[in-house]
Amino acid sequence: MVETRKEPEKDNPADASRRSFLKVMMALGVGAVTIAVARGAIQNLIPQSVGTSSFPTLTLVNATTGAPIKTNDLTVNNPAAVIFDYPLQNEPNFLLRLGDSSGNDVAISPYNVQIPATGGTFKSPGGVGPYKSVVSSSAVCQHLGCTPPSIHFYKPGTTIPNHPGHSGSANTGFINCNCHGSTYDPYKGFSVVTGPTKSPLPSVILAWDSSSDTYAVNSMVGPTIYGHSDDLSGGNPLSSSSQADVTTISD
Amino acid sequence: MTEKDQNEIIKILNDPQPLPRKVPDYMRRRGGMWYWTGAMVMFAFLYEVITGLVILFYYQPTAAYASTENFLNSTPFGSIILTTHLYGAYAMIALLYLHLLRNLFVGAYKKPRKNQWISGILLLLMTLAVGFFGYSMSGDVLAANATGVGKGIAAETPVIGSYLEGIFFGNGTTASLFQRMLGWHIVLVALIGITFLGHFFLAEYNTIMPKRSESNYRTPLVDRETSTYRPWYPYNMIYMVQIALYTFAAILIIPSVVVALPGVPTLFSPFPQVAAGTSFTGPLYPPWFLLFVYKAMDFQVSSIIDPFWATVIFAGAPLVYLLLIPFLDRNNSLSMTDRPVTVALGIIGIAYLVGLSIWGALTPALFIPDPEVLLFFVVIGVALFVLVELAIWSIKHRKTRFRDPAKVYILLAMTGISAFGTGSLAIPSLITFKPVYDIPAILLAMITAYLILLDIASMRTAETVRPMEPVSSDMKPVTYVLISAFLVFAAIVILFIITPLNPSVVSQEAGYGIGLGLLLFISGTLVKIYRKTEYGE
Repeated sequence: MVETRKEPEKDNPADASRRSFLKVMMALGVGAVTIAVARGAIQNLIPQSVGTSSFPTLTLVNATTGAPIKTNDLTVNNPAAVIFDYPLQNEPNFLLRLGDSSGNDVAISPYNVQIPATGGTFKSPGGVGPYKSVVSSSAVCQHLGCTPPSIHFYKPGTTIPNHPGHSGSANTGFINCNCHGSTYDPYKGFSVVTGPTKSPLPSVILAWDSSSDTYAVNSMVGPTIYGHSDDLSGGNPLSSSSQADVTTISD
Repeated sequence: MTEKDQNEIIKILNDPQPLPRKVPDYMRRRGGMWYWTGAMVMFAFLYEVITGLVILFYYQPTAAYASTENFLNSTPFGSIILTTHLYGAYAMIALLYLHLLRNLFVGAYKKPRKNQWISGILLLLMTLAVGFFGYSMSGDVLAANATGVGKGIAAETPVIGSYLEGIFFGNGTTASLFQRMLGWHIVLVALIGITFLGHFFLAEYNTIMPKRSESNYRTPLVDRETSTYRPWYPYNMIYMVQIALYTFAAILIIPSVVVALPGVPTLFSPFPQVAAGTSFTGPLYPPWFLLFVYKAMDFQVSSIIDPFWATVIFAGAPLVYLLLIPFLDRNNSLSMTDRPVTVALGIIGIAYLVGLSIWGALTPALFIPDPEVLLFFVVIGVALFVLVELAIWSIKHRKTRFRDPAKVYILLAMTGISAFGTGSLAIPSLITFKPVYDIPAILLAMITAYLILLDIASMRTAETVRPMEPVSSDMKPVTYVLISAFLVFAAIVILFIITPLNPSVVSQEAGYGIGLGLLLFISGTLVKIYRKTEYGE
């Protein structure tokens, strides 16, 4: 069948320019709609920030028994990851009692920690407790955010996977992240030993009460916890306002 | 595209004939499977949608790991659905790569299929992203790390990083993280579906890509339908049913066998690992299809330029190159000898992808100094480039003749990959003498030797160019009747065997999965026999 559709009449130049003008107007109209919709959609999709307003002071307690942690509850050079969330629920921290290769407590002094990423420095708090050997830091790797058990402490003399230069006798006690091999030195304020990380682990400031032999967590110092715009946002606040629960992930 | 071709396409489009189009008969004959890699991807996608919708009834973002484990261990047939959903995704990705490479080497990105190629690359990107979110949703220890890495890379994006992190991974709480990942997993699947419709429509619009000899290896390669073409229904439809049955069969059988095997490496485990935050000592692998980016993070250069830029260089740049291929390779020849650079870069790309992945699997988180990185990229790149250019030169100047150059290229590429794999495995094998490395190294060495023999053989026989003799495998019709009767008998036996299996016990479910896969395989074969005897295809 032959179609008997009416052919459009030949354009004169005025018609052609009117047509292009109308096309541009249509495109602009659709463009305006797109911008308005995109703005709304993006603003809607960005989640509300959650967090807390200040660092709380919390007593460290055993998560199962609820009893405060005493010095004897902490094993020197414990290869298992002893961790507690602070200041938010998704911010785990290591609780370490450091010793030498024969298992005697080592007093940890404050240390001027370099931040290679920014070139800045900060002073780490140093050890607390009867032997000044208890320290704490964020347990979120500063490279790409791996958490225990992927990142944990390797006690002096042990083998660190894929780190021949820091294994065995060369291992004076390091925290290593098995995700991409970043290594930190907890004896020197959790400073960077090997990359790929360019930032030390943020230190947690602890306080020890000599009369009751209990530990409290006060605040943090150093770089921001990995994955957070600041330490106090990007997670739900802890459920308790008086204590922080300490758990152990066995190795 | 000339105006004549354009007019022809418009004419075909306006013809009142049903979509999809008729195709030439040889596409359904022996070896015609290479024309249907896209259909296989589509059926794998379909399988993923169906099983994914079932899992959606059970998955709880607020209890990601627990609900996954519960579905796996306590829900009847949960293990089959979840493990085949995972392996169906693996199959879709693997088939997607196959589809991509086939179309790269035959030059399908050329006129008039530029937009089809670009939409295909976008589909690849979205499929890998969906795979990433899906993998992360189990909430196991590996997923937790993969999520952390994905979040970290998103957050490092200049200017908009924190917004991207929030949009894709939520506000930092675990509940919002899994809610968002579930959301994106589904939204991206919907986007894949829509983009696929466009991709499929373009395939119909540009006509299905016929043999390159149809247009004497020149663009535009358009299928000029003749009256000899058989109608789409029933011939092609039944062929599609056959491909679907075979694809589903493979997706069901492979993971069910893997479930039944002891000591499957973490990388290919069909189950989630232990929950995040509990003791785990194995290597912290990402999903296997992201191993190449994972290894790139261990490079010295990556620790200097930050993970985001490392991702941009090692994953983003190849993707951009793939998108640009139709604009870079603009001549009108579809012959591989006229596209030496694109062909060489394609082969080098395969070697990099496979090499980096094997490297990442063998040395997880081992720091690689820059000289070694440079050695890897330069040696493989230069050696393969020179080899491919030499091969193309000698073919073009008639020093070597092949009956079927495409087959020889594929053979050479496989030899290269296999040789590289052997080399990578031989080093740890010789150092450690661990069976984990020894056995694959020996196997791969044997495969390499076999491939080299094939390479030599294909070049030898090619010296005397002779026409391919049709392989006659026609049997008497009665034989087919007997075979199909036997197959149905076997199917009934399988049905009897698998029916009493307990669908809530993982090991018995694996048996059910294998049985179901075999039933699909038998059905596919019955369709094939029907086509052979009734349609002569």
